Amino acid sequence: MSDEFNIKNIAKLASINLSEEEQDSLSNDLSIILEHVNALSDLKLNSQQQEIFIHPLAKELELQDDQVVESLTHHEAISNAPESKDGKFVVPPSME
Amino acid sequence: MDASQLSIREINSLFTKKELKPSELYSKVFENAANSEAALHAHLTLFEEENIKKAAESDKRFSKDESASLLDGIPIAIKDNINIKNYKTTCSSKMLSNYTSPYDATVIKKLKEHNALFTGKTNLDEFAMGSSTENSAFGLTKNPWNTDYVPGGSSGGSAASVGARSSIAALGSDTGGSIRQPASFCGLVGFKPTYGTVSRFGLVAFASSLDQIGPITKTVDDSRIIFSSISGKDSRDATSVINNQLDIPSDNAATIGVIKELMEDGISDEAKNEVNKVVEILKSKGYKVKEISIPIIKLSISIYYLIAPAECSANLARFDGVRYGLRIDGNTSYEMMENTRAEGFGAEVKRRILLGTYALSAGYYDEYYGKALQARKEMIDEFAETFKDFDYLISPTTPTQAFKSGEKTSNPLEMYMSDLCTIPANLAGLPAISIPTGLSKDELPLGVQVMSKPLSDNSLLDFSEIIENEVQFDGQPKGWL
Repeated sequence: MSDEFNIKNIAKLASINLSEEEQDSLSNDLSIILEHVNALSDLKLNSQQQEIFIHPLAKELELQDDQVVESLTHHEAISNAPESKDGKFVVPPSME
Repeated sequence: MDASQLSIREINSLFTKKELKPSELYSKVFENAANSEAALHAHLTLFEEENIKKAAESDKRFSKDESASLLDGIPIAIKDNINIKNYKTTCSSKMLSNYTSPYDATVIKKLKEHNALFTGKTNLDEFAMGSSTENSAFGLTKNPWNTDYVPGGSSGGSAASVGARSSIAALGSDTGGSIRQPASFCGLVGFKPTYGTVSRFGLVAFASSLDQIGPITKTVDDSRIIFSSISGKDSRDATSVINNQLDIPSDNAATIGVIKELMEDGISDEAKNEVNKVVEILKSKGYKVKEISIPIIKLSISIYYLIAPAECSANLARFDGVRYGLRIDGNTSYEMMENTRAEGFGAEVKRRILLGTYALSAGYYDEYYGKALQARKEMIDEFAETFKDFDYLISPTTPTQAFKSGEKTSNPLEMYMSDLCTIPANLAGLPAISIPTGLSKDELPLGVQVMSKPLSDNSLLDFSEIIENEVQFDGQPKGWL
């Protein structure tokens, strides 16, 4: 496993603007953590599991019929918006 | 008599006999909170005024013999990552400092149907990421046994609240030990139910395949009462299941396994001694107790710190300054999102989002996240195999007693290691409980963890109650009443 990573690139993917100081300290922390998780690379596994979500009771899960149920009102859904207008979320332009 | 010291069943009996009113108990727990809150900071908000009317309604039901629930009039504190309609849900994050819930979590809806009284919202590590409640944006919570020490985390506020008797019980959430570890550090019972038995609807998601809501209480029976009230299939949580409980023996027909890997290096002698003490008691009562090795447990931290951050990075993508929460302006939407997330998240949350983003990124997915998923499946299979021969598995809940505030904040990996014993139950979806059993030489609580197979929660509680009755731990923090 590789533990080399570009912190600026990862921060960009995660949409978090990091200060220079944060980049240094987080790079350091992440290197230590990645070194530890690298223990997995030596593991010889029987499982070929590739599903993203593992439910310990997968056999118990059932599909359910679509039903119309009570939900948030439009007003409630938008009540925490930092900025809204005419019942819609307002955001800065997507392009300069 | 101080009613705040009693169990839920004892309190209900006094209510029913009209020897105590819910409003009197309600006043008492707020009196306790007034004595301890400045020193402990267990709560982010207290609801005293808001619920006086509800307490009076409970009074009326008991006076007319119309009460139908053991939780009627019981003051319960709620971890501040669980939504209560019209109250703030901050997750101890600057990101949500002004967020007001427009709906009730399913567990809250159920507790309201039982006429429980909510005392307040409790402090936590930001978005439930941490093991000490030191990652809160709104200040530290202290351990009620000794304020130099952490209460554990992430549900540290819930544990401190029950510890100081500022509530009779509390709800927490447990993704890698966040109910059991603080319960152990504060001398309480902490129960993480089988994954899927309690709806996660309305719990702010951290790592959805691992998160579970559960109780922190003074007694095993209190946890049983709350679990039976909040569990059940919920159409709003697609991972919830019908709570069809398996009946396994709790008497001495049961076979007990002591997990070898959780009694080795890295576990303090004091923590091991508590397990050995319980083992001796069980043997004396005729239980068969054997050591069992589950080697993959040694990889728990590695598996967890790939899967949980990966899920966290996806779940927390929703905090983008558009629909709710903090917004820090920028010239474009993208700049606004980057600025908002830079300002709104604390260091540990950023650390986990970045780790998860990396583990899921192109070129690394297979070797990190994919490998962790395979190892997790292997762990589930190993537990299933183990439960063919054993009914219950015992270990320490935590490698050590509570640690001092600030002791581990500069070393994230060392902090993560404090969840070594609790993480396997989350990875495998097992029910697991921490039972307080004794005190360390520093006079801090120690606990023992018991796990059992999925959907055997009720039997696990029965077995735990036998341990509780035999151990007779009756310690409690001093100076708050």
